[in-house]
Amino acid sequence: MMAVATFEHDAELMLRVRDGDAQSFSLLLAKHRGPVIHFLYRMIQNQAVAEELAQEVFLRVYRSRASYEPTAKFTTWLFRIASHVALNHIRDGKHERHQESLDGEGTEGIGRQVASRAPTVEQEMVRESRLAEVRRTVESLPAKQRAAVLMHKYQEMDYAQIAAALECSESAVKSLLFRAYETLRAKLAHLAGRG
Amino acid sequence: MKSTKGSACPVERGEEEILLRYCAGTLAAEGAAQLEGHVTSCSRCRMWVQEQQMVWRALESWELEPVTADFDAALLARIAREKEARPGWRGWWERAVGAWSGGLEWRVAVPAAALALLLAAGLAVTNPFRGEPVETAVRLEAREIEQAERALEDLEMLRQLEPPEEDKKL
Repeated sequence: MMAVATFEHDAELMLRVRDGDAQSFSLLLAKHRGPVIHFLYRMIQNQAVAEELAQEVFLRVYRSRASYEPTAKFTTWLFRIASHVALNHIRDGKHERHQESLDGEGTEGIGRQVASRAPTVEQEMVRESRLAEVRRTVESLPAKQRAAVLMHKYQEMDYAQIAAALECSESAVKSLLFRAYETLRAKLAHLAGRG
Repeated sequence: MKSTKGSACPVERGEEEILLRYCAGTLAAEGAAQLEGHVTSCSRCRMWVQEQQMVWRALESWELEPVTADFDAALLARIAREKEARPGWRGWWERAVGAWSGGLEWRVAVPAAALALLLAAGLAVTNPFRGEPVETAVRLEAREIEQAERALEDLEMLRQLEPPEEDKKL
């Protein structure tokens, strides 16, 4: 029931954007900005590039307002655009040029948090190393598998929505997820023992 | 070979996808309860579920940086710049696309048809074949005649090779 209400609300906002209501666009932006940037960040693993790509995504949403029809859930349509932008970015090889050093960026982020949360140095090093490993493993997945896992895990999208976003069949999504999680299990399961 | 058809074990049946849905909490309550009973007694499924839950927790531990404070302002500025740069044709195009998606109206169809006619006329005027030298055209015509003659000769030869009608009846 909640999902239906959200679906109608987002679609309704987008229809208002189509009619020239800038306020509705701001509402959609406020609601979906975070999930889109986080998805792109996890795909590309560079915050600055992720935000730049997210700008492109919302710009495309705005440009498409005249042709928008609420035939699918708004988030599915939005993530279809986001997936396109991310996969094109990776395909064009811009990914490698922009990618930050995992260790470098991780250390910087952790450094800030050490002061506020004050865990022991050892705990922090373990956490940092775990996080770097998770990021490396996700990054090692083929781009489409990565996109499918990120939408499944973090956006809680079902197979049909992921299929619509990636423009493939539901069985293809099942296969993508199966292979991706198989890789993740093989590479990350040992972390269980490290607490 | 051991048959896995009647087995209750998703791993044996090659249906790990059901375990994935169980871990994601998207399995219906009844199915989840049944599977839970099986998972507690089956070491392979238990291992699968534990590893998947580990992956889940590892992914959840991935913290993110906050979004830049001026993200919205930067985006809205880009939109404003774009609007300023192309107000005329963009507005027309959006209206046209909007009308197309909701059913083509005559108010759009007529200008679109007029535009298509103009484009066709423009192409006719700048036809790249218009200025073709006469010699080239004559050479092409001569080659076509030659090809047609050769095709007729080939047909004649085939007819000669065919057995007479009486032979066909035998």
